[in-house]
Amino acid sequence: MIVLVGLNHKTASIAVREKIFAGCQEEKDVLARLRSLNGVGEVLHLSTCNRVEIIASVEDHGKAVKDLRDFMAATGGLTEAQAADCFYEYRDEEAVRHIFRVASSLDSMVMGETQILGQVKDAYRRALAQYATGVVLNRLMHCSFRAAKRVRTETAIAVNPVSVSYAAVELAKKIFGSLNGKKILLIGAGEMAELTGMHLVSNGAEGVIVANRTLAQAELLAEKFHGEAASLDALDKKLIEVDIVISSTGAPDFIVTADMLKKIHHQRKNRLLFLVDIAMPRDIEPAASSLENVYLYNIDDLQDIVDENMNVRKKEAIRAEMIVEEEVARYVNWQKELESVPTIISLRGKTEEIVKAEMERAAGWIRSFNKEDQEKIENLVNSIVNKVLHSPVAVLKEESSEFNSRDIVAAVRRLFRLDG
Amino acid sequence: MTLINLEMILFKISFIFCAVSTAGYLLSLLVKKIKLAKISTWILSAAFGFLTLNLLLTVINFSGLVNLGSRNILSLCAWSASGVYLALQFKTKTRTLGAFISPFIFLFMIAAAGQDAGKTLLPANLQTWLTAVHMLLTITGEALFILASCAGAMFIIQDGLLKSKKLNKMSRLLPSLSDLDRINHICLLWGFPVLSVGVLAGMIFAEFSWQAGWLTDPKIIWTFAGWIIYGSLLHQRLAIGWRGYRMALVSCAAFILLLLSYGSVRFCFSTLHNFI
Repeated sequence: MIVLVGLNHKTASIAVREKIFAGCQEEKDVLARLRSLNGVGEVLHLSTCNRVEIIASVEDHGKAVKDLRDFMAATGGLTEAQAADCFYEYRDEEAVRHIFRVASSLDSMVMGETQILGQVKDAYRRALAQYATGVVLNRLMHCSFRAAKRVRTETAIAVNPVSVSYAAVELAKKIFGSLNGKKILLIGAGEMAELTGMHLVSNGAEGVIVANRTLAQAELLAEKFHGEAASLDALDKKLIEVDIVISSTGAPDFIVTADMLKKIHHQRKNRLLFLVDIAMPRDIEPAASSLENVYLYNIDDLQDIVDENMNVRKKEAIRAEMIVEEEVARYVNWQKELESVPTIISLRGKTEEIVKAEMERAAGWIRSFNKEDQEKIENLVNSIVNKVLHSPVAVLKEESSEFNSRDIVAAVRRLFRLDG
Repeated sequence: MTLINLEMILFKISFIFCAVSTAGYLLSLLVKKIKLAKISTWILSAAFGFLTLNLLLTVINFSGLVNLGSRNILSLCAWSASGVYLALQFKTKTRTLGAFISPFIFLFMIAAAGQDAGKTLLPANLQTWLTAVHMLLTITGEALFILASCAGAMFIIQDGLLKSKKLNKMSRLLPSLSDLDRINHICLLWGFPVLSVGVLAGMIFAEFSWQAGWLTDPKIIWTFAGWIIYGSLLHQRLAIGWRGYRMALVSCAAFILLLLSYGSVRFCFSTLHNFI
């Protein structure tokens, strides 16, 4: 039986999540302690900034859930009332569905984000290293990775960016193709501009110039990018060199005007220029957009793209949920089959024992035959036993994949007296 | 099976492949799936392969390029355009360009299919290696210009989408502006010298065999006009530094102008090139 106990950004405030996250970080042997809980067999502990979850294979649902909740509450130092509000718990099929949705990023704060799968894989790797998982959770995690991979490849859930800075990177790629060797000019030393600059650099852009009203601040940010600092007076000269401009100053007037760009157009040899204006009020004159080979996007334009992409993700999420359901059904079938496996093994073991005992009893008269005939008799006996067992084993497998096999497993165990 | 039969079969197979790839490319634009364009590129590559075999067999059959039939000339145009496009794919991977160039390739194939297979195109006095060089290079040069113009047309569409702040499926499907500008540049850079040598070969031949009067031939005037237009485009790009939107616009305008003037010359005037 599988249980999942946890909390996430939807059920717990950041303060509570922080406490539990920090508690788990401090606790070096979380997995060992969880395994020492009575009735907990296999266990996996997932801890990210948005969620903390424990997935376990247990003998008794009720007791295990209570123990796991208490463990988490104690780790984060939560009161019983706090714990009651923020923890959720899932059992069997629901737990499987939840972990598949988590790995596929359907339960993330930003649906379709790619980081979560890596975090789930890391958690599994840690559990594997400490031998905390077995047949049930190993299969569960591999199936969750397959579900996540299918969601990623068969739907467009993670295709379009849903953050302003990534939208700017995508636009830059639509203009320049590859960003390798492209020069960036950051006007103003705002956080948003810095983040967008970082994304552009990580996508291949080289050479960052930071222009700011106060040169000292420009130098500070330029140092982070190993770039160069410039004052706003040198802006028109710097505009000649660069391909991408990100502006985010707090200036009340336009800093980059259409006239300014028109004048340097020839010096720029008509190269394509991508302007991102994320300042409020705007830094770049909107008329610049009508200039040839100049592409201007302000914060609203970028937000519109993000909103549109978010809608696409929501539509794709419907298809993703269907994929998750298919994978859940596959896993649950396997799990049901697993319930009948010990019975099938016991059944075969018992018949083998009977055959062995009877063959030993008949050893006296069997020895009167030659070697070849002795083998024929042995083969005949084994063949009869296999034929007799074929139907019950096949039915056990079939029934267990169709519905809950407990009744039929119990019947077989009783009929063949497998429990002694 | 005779060589002529085999040649016909190869032509038919390449015709079908060409039709399927054109449909695939157009469908990829319609449903906005790049995978379809990729598959179409493979189909067009197969069409190109069969057409290459077809043309090789023709050359063997007729012992050289100098007396090809009118169908072969038109399929040579299709072969040249698809060859240039596929070669560019190795460099730029801009599959959707195929949606713009493949209809032209298919039109050449339709025109070729409508021609009499056995008919020899060139009069006996024009069947020289110089006319073969002239024909091959001018066709390749024109194919490169068609491609430059297609890239220009795609640039204009992508520019319009980006200027109107629409990062939609179509915009995502089309190549980046830089890639399209690069294709335009490469095609002009290669197309102009290839066309120049082709025209020069034609001029040398005309000077020696027709001697006088050929300079005022409408088709030759049209070719010169095309040569000068593309030459000036290349000049503007290399010397003046035109690029991006303006270059794309002028390339398209030049192509439409030349297409219209070719049509009027072909159907309204009697020229020394009446056999084409």
